Amino acid sequence: MTGSPSTVIAAPPSDPRAQVPIQLTVNGQTHRLSVDPRASLLDTLHGRLGLTGTKKGCDHGQCGACTVHLGGRRALACLTFAVAVREPVTTIEGLAGPEGRLHAMQQAFIDQDALQCGFCTPGQIMSAVACVHEGHAETEADIREFMSGNLCRCAAYPHIVKAIAQARPRMRRA
Amino acid sequence: MPDDARLPTHASLIGHPVPRIDARAKVIGEVRYAFDEPVANPAHAFLVTSTIARGRITGFHLDEAQAVPGILDILTFRNVGGQVEELPPPGGQGGKTTQSLQSDRIWHAGQIVAVVVAESPEAAREAAEKVRVDYAEEKPSASFDSPGAETIVLADLEGSGGSPHEDPKVGDAEGALAGAAVKVDARYSTPPQHHNPMELYTTTCEWRDGKLTVYEGTQFAHGMKVSLAKQIGVDPADVRSVSRFIGGAFGSRGAITHRTAWIAVAARRLNRPVRLEPTRQQGFTIVTFRAETRHHVRLGASKDGRLQALLHEGWEATSRPSTYNVSGTATTARLYACPNVATKVSVTRLDRQTPGFMRAPPETPYLFPLESAMDELAYALGMDPVALRRINDTQTEPIKGLPYTSRHLVECFEAASKAFDWGRRDPRPGSMRDGDWLVGLGCAAAAYPANIGAASTRLILTPGPRARIQMAAEDIGTGAYTAIALTAADRLGLPIEQVSVEGGDSSLPAAGLAAGSNHAASTCNVVAKACEMARQRLAQAAGAAKDGPLAGQNPSELRLVGGALVGPGGRREPLDKALARLGGPLEIYAENVPEGVPADGVQKTYQGQMASARGSEMKDQIRYSFGAQFVEVGVHSLTGEVRVRRATGAFAAGQIINPTTAKSQLMGGMIWGISAALHEATEIDERAARYYNNDLAEYLVPVNADIPEIEVILVPEEDHRINELGIKGIGELGTTGMNAAVANAVFHAAGVRIRDLPIRIEKLLDAPLLRA
Repeated sequence: MTGSPSTVIAAPPSDPRAQVPIQLTVNGQTHRLSVDPRASLLDTLHGRLGLTGTKKGCDHGQCGACTVHLGGRRALACLTFAVAVREPVTTIEGLAGPEGRLHAMQQAFIDQDALQCGFCTPGQIMSAVACVHEGHAETEADIREFMSGNLCRCAAYPHIVKAIAQARPRMRRA
Repeated sequence: MPDDARLPTHASLIGHPVPRIDARAKVIGEVRYAFDEPVANPAHAFLVTSTIARGRITGFHLDEAQAVPGILDILTFRNVGGQVEELPPPGGQGGKTTQSLQSDRIWHAGQIVAVVVAESPEAAREAAEKVRVDYAEEKPSASFDSPGAETIVLADLEGSGGSPHEDPKVGDAEGALAGAAVKVDARYSTPPQHHNPMELYTTTCEWRDGKLTVYEGTQFAHGMKVSLAKQIGVDPADVRSVSRFIGGAFGSRGAITHRTAWIAVAARRLNRPVRLEPTRQQGFTIVTFRAETRHHVRLGASKDGRLQALLHEGWEATSRPSTYNVSGTATTARLYACPNVATKVSVTRLDRQTPGFMRAPPETPYLFPLESAMDELAYALGMDPVALRRINDTQTEPIKGLPYTSRHLVECFEAASKAFDWGRRDPRPGSMRDGDWLVGLGCAAAAYPANIGAASTRLILTPGPRARIQMAAEDIGTGAYTAIALTAADRLGLPIEQVSVEGGDSSLPAAGLAAGSNHAASTCNVVAKACEMARQRLAQAAGAAKDGPLAGQNPSELRLVGGALVGPGGRREPLDKALARLGGPLEIYAENVPEGVPADGVQKTYQGQMASARGSEMKDQIRYSFGAQFVEVGVHSLTGEVRVRRATGAFAAGQIINPTTAKSQLMGGMIWGISAALHEATEIDERAARYYNNDLAEYLVPVNADIPEIEVILVPEEDHRINELGIKGIGELGTTGMNAAVANAVFHAAGVRIRDLPIRIEKLLDAPLLRA
């Protein structure tokens, strides 16, 4: 340890509530906006950009309803400050292909009736897609384990497992 | 069914599995839940809730909050108290309920004491956290055994403001018990539980030209509309409730709760829309919950297993001003053939919020003790638990001797036990092992009354042909909209893709409360009626026409099949042509008042009141759905960990409209039962009367890894006595027997009878079999 700091810490802004200009790329579209430094990515997507598909079930990382992809990896939008986002964001609205062609995972959730009220569904689907990409969907036991960060109070769990098993080979072919 | 074989028939769509009509919108994130509804330039509200459970507010310190940039308003009892009428009790039950923001009085911890409104959610939250409240605190009563808890026997309540209560009883239960050859005498308990739907308890209120629109997830659009109008003192015609989609409810959105009127007031004060998004933690105290219960069950049987005596006494927690109760003895007293029955229910008043309905009230807490006691009786008799249910089966309930309109409980046990391979079970506890796991198999009966309510609907047939169904039904995740569409498609002879459903809006025809498993029966029957009225109009015009293929035909012989009006011998006219004859779109309004519902039932529904016939309260018959549930658990012999390894349920619930969503409902219900048995309990700080596990990490609900394969079997059942379509309802049924089935399986695995839910490791550690 030396006494000299290795990083320079910027002086805090005189008004900690002052709006911060940011640039967010969401579903391929770049948005420039000013946000409260305390605003979560979730509140920014939902309340500012009108992308209401991403859901708030707890606001502190316990339920998974707000799962989005950041740079292709799953992330909890409620625990991510909007000002801290550097990578492109994909939300449930950006998952389907051109002309509304459903992603294999979306189709599988319909086919297996892997949803009831549907409120956790966007987060489940975003996690499920990431789960396959991570290689965590090779067995049903793996799927159950790696989908356990997404609560479903209607308890569609067995059907969610089936949906992921259905989509997995189709995603590989795609 | 056509009684003449010459009449055209078609393959019925009812009972045919179809995907949810809203599934696509749900998987692309397009569905609008209440908080997704766009409103212009909203202000944002944040709640301040009480840190004490009993006492008075002596002062507010608002200076710091009012200095937060963007602060707009702070509502406390000092500036808005008395400006709205008292909150009505949940479901109109229990006399009075607790109030918030009306006075300095604190009834329970987490009561709303201030509503802070600001320009942004961040500013509202910052300001709310800067509100300081002074209290004169009194010692609260937290639970049954706390000093100051007041216990009231419900039967003693008559004439003292409570609704009349009747404890089902017949014969001489005490005498029969004394003389019985084999007895069980045991006490059980279930913990407080919270619904925790995934969608938070948000509310958005918008006034425009003196008219209010409230966007809040509700199970009863007209109940919300009229209750809110009454509370805030406006004409119900000036209030509209919109909740097109609901992120789960489970009873939590059945009746209006504290927050709604105050957000309407806040929006009126600011002349600007106000959005409230309470936290998950606040959701534990600002709505209702399932109260904890205690039970004393005594069973007496002859040596061949026939019940001679059944005594069930229950105690339920409630709030200080309320006598709210669910009284599940209405079901437990009548489930089995038993000549001598006695029941009694009491409530205990505590300094807690008023409880309310939660999925399968009251059977979830009341069948647990009875179905556990039945398992204990089977062991005392040395009899198979399935055989014990069979020998005590009845087609007539024992209290008044009323016939069940249909009851296939034994058939359910047969179907489920076969699929589950119950025959391989060695009944001795601890006899089945799988490595370090002690394996146990248990079963229990499921039962829920078949309820139905008054409802109305509008059907609009347009060229295409397309059908639009408009009714203020609510789809809380049940698949209600799909069942409605399926019924209309079936009766109109159209593909389901040509039917759309508009619901969740009080500006549509009233359709009652989506709760108590009544909604499918209530909504589908009135939709079928509207479709029949449409068929009659089309058939009469076609038959009376001078030309056309059906001219001169008897209208009663014309059917709507395959997009056409079809007569005997296969003569057909496309529906579009038949419609054109009527001069354009055909609009039909229909009402249905089922048997047992007051004649003004539809009017009452429009007035926001429940107008339903409960299957347990019919005059000359009794209507129930039944099921049998089987569970295999593993209890780890070294750690005491309990895992459900598989579960099978078989259910007979009359006509199933859509097996796809029905199976999902029953499966979800079974997982709710597993959750009630092994996971869920709201923990109370005894000194402070506060919940301390009030979030989704500490309040345990199952995650995907907790849940195995669940098998759901639909046992065919036709019941033409209950309603036109023969629908009984399934929303609650799947939950009702599961907690006992799990507990019975745990006993079989580890030899320990857990009578106090949930079943957690610490309750198993002393099991002798665990060390073996």
